[in-house]
Amino acid sequence: MMGQYEARFPTDRRYAKKNHTWAQRSEGRGAWRFGFSAYAVRLLQDVYFLDWQVEEGVNVTEGQEIGFIESKKAESDLYAPMTGRLVRFNGELLDDPSTINVDNYGAGWLFEIEGDGQNLMTPEEYLAHLESVWEVTQRTIKGQMNE
Amino acid sequence: MTKRISVVLSQGQSRNPEKRKLEEDLVAALIMESGVDVTVVPHLYDLTPDGTGMLALRNIGGDAVILSWLYPRAARWVLDRNNIRGQEGISLLKGLGEGDEDDEDLEDELEDEADDDKDRVADSRPNPPRKIYCLDLRAYDDANTYVEEIRRIVRENGTPLVQLTGWLGGKPKNGEAMQRFLEPTNDTHLGAARETGRRDAGGNGEPAPEAPPVVRIEENAGRRWYPVIDYSRCTNCMECIDFCLFGVYGVDNVETILVEQPDNCRKGCPACSRVCPENAIIFPQH
Repeated sequence: MMGQYEARFPTDRRYAKKNHTWAQRSEGRGAWRFGFSAYAVRLLQDVYFLDWQVEEGVNVTEGQEIGFIESKKAESDLYAPMTGRLVRFNGELLDDPSTINVDNYGAGWLFEIEGDGQNLMTPEEYLAHLESVWEVTQRTIKGQMNE
Repeated sequence: MTKRISVVLSQGQSRNPEKRKLEEDLVAALIMESGVDVTVVPHLYDLTPDGTGMLALRNIGGDAVILSWLYPRAARWVLDRNNIRGQEGISLLKGLGEGDEDDEDLEDELEDEADDDKDRVADSRPNPPRKIYCLDLRAYDDANTYVEEIRRIVRENGTPLVQLTGWLGGKPKNGEAMQRFLEPTNDTHLGAARETGRRDAGGNGEPAPEAPPVVRIEENAGRRWYPVIDYSRCTNCMECIDFCLFGVYGVDNVETILVEQPDNCRKGCPACSRVCPENAIIFPQH
């Protein structure tokens, strides 16, 4: 639970700690498909604009800046959640990023990266991580509300 | 005698409802203005050279105001690359970030640089006499500010052409006029009139029946990423063409540098702008 809001985290996939994305092996390909977790979407709220600063097919390293997002609650750079070859972006989101809000665990996926995924967390590890940062998150949210 | 002026509203890429509302408020207000033709196009930087958007812009012969979510300098040189040229219309609106001391220092530096005796490409490339004003939609939140400035521009260009080129040799004399503009003493009267006009025009973006139609151009070319050369700074030194590995740059038939293959550019790579000794290369999305 995030305050009064319930956040669901499917257990059929893994999670990246630093930018709150889920990762799931794409069928038939060696790539991990990434999208925002319910936690990230809850903090972002309505997504208005998404842009990528790299092209499909390039190698990225974990933590590298790869894009930008504008939402009701935030404007933020986006970073690669793992090292590997960024093979595909979800092009439909560029025209209509609201799919992220409608179906963040499905059609609202962001991109696919080929790589080993060693640093990705299990859902249990991710939830434990969220519990540990929840105090700070609440302070951040309240700080925004008081601005 | 009133000349007509074309106002082009270049839409942003964002679906932020506040930004969309500013765009629609502007369209609704501008169609009620006399002497103003309104054209709505997608994001200027994303328009393809042979698309309907650029075609429509090239068909505008007279004075024009370009409202876009870009720095005026970027908008101006994007148009220039597409053969849409004119004298630089001087807006009295402050640009995004102007007024900060750091930025003024930077501007001063750049002006000092431009004052030296280097030959700039733009010096040998005269523009047609019509004027193009580029206004940055990121600078103000309210449509009113832009509408007032467009009215001023219409007045400026509707009066007999006596000293209109007086600004060419130097900076605009904007001290007192700017002050008067920024702190108007009668902001209620005109605003009230426009509120009525906006309701008449309908809240759903449909123009009122008697109003001149707005030309709306849709083009879905996707996002682009490429350099834009500011020829008022460029000295044709060829550092960029030597540097770029992707064949973005070329030269025209008088050996002047140009962005020949913009879509060869690598998304997110602004490196050529860093090697340019004159800071003449713009990546508007960077």
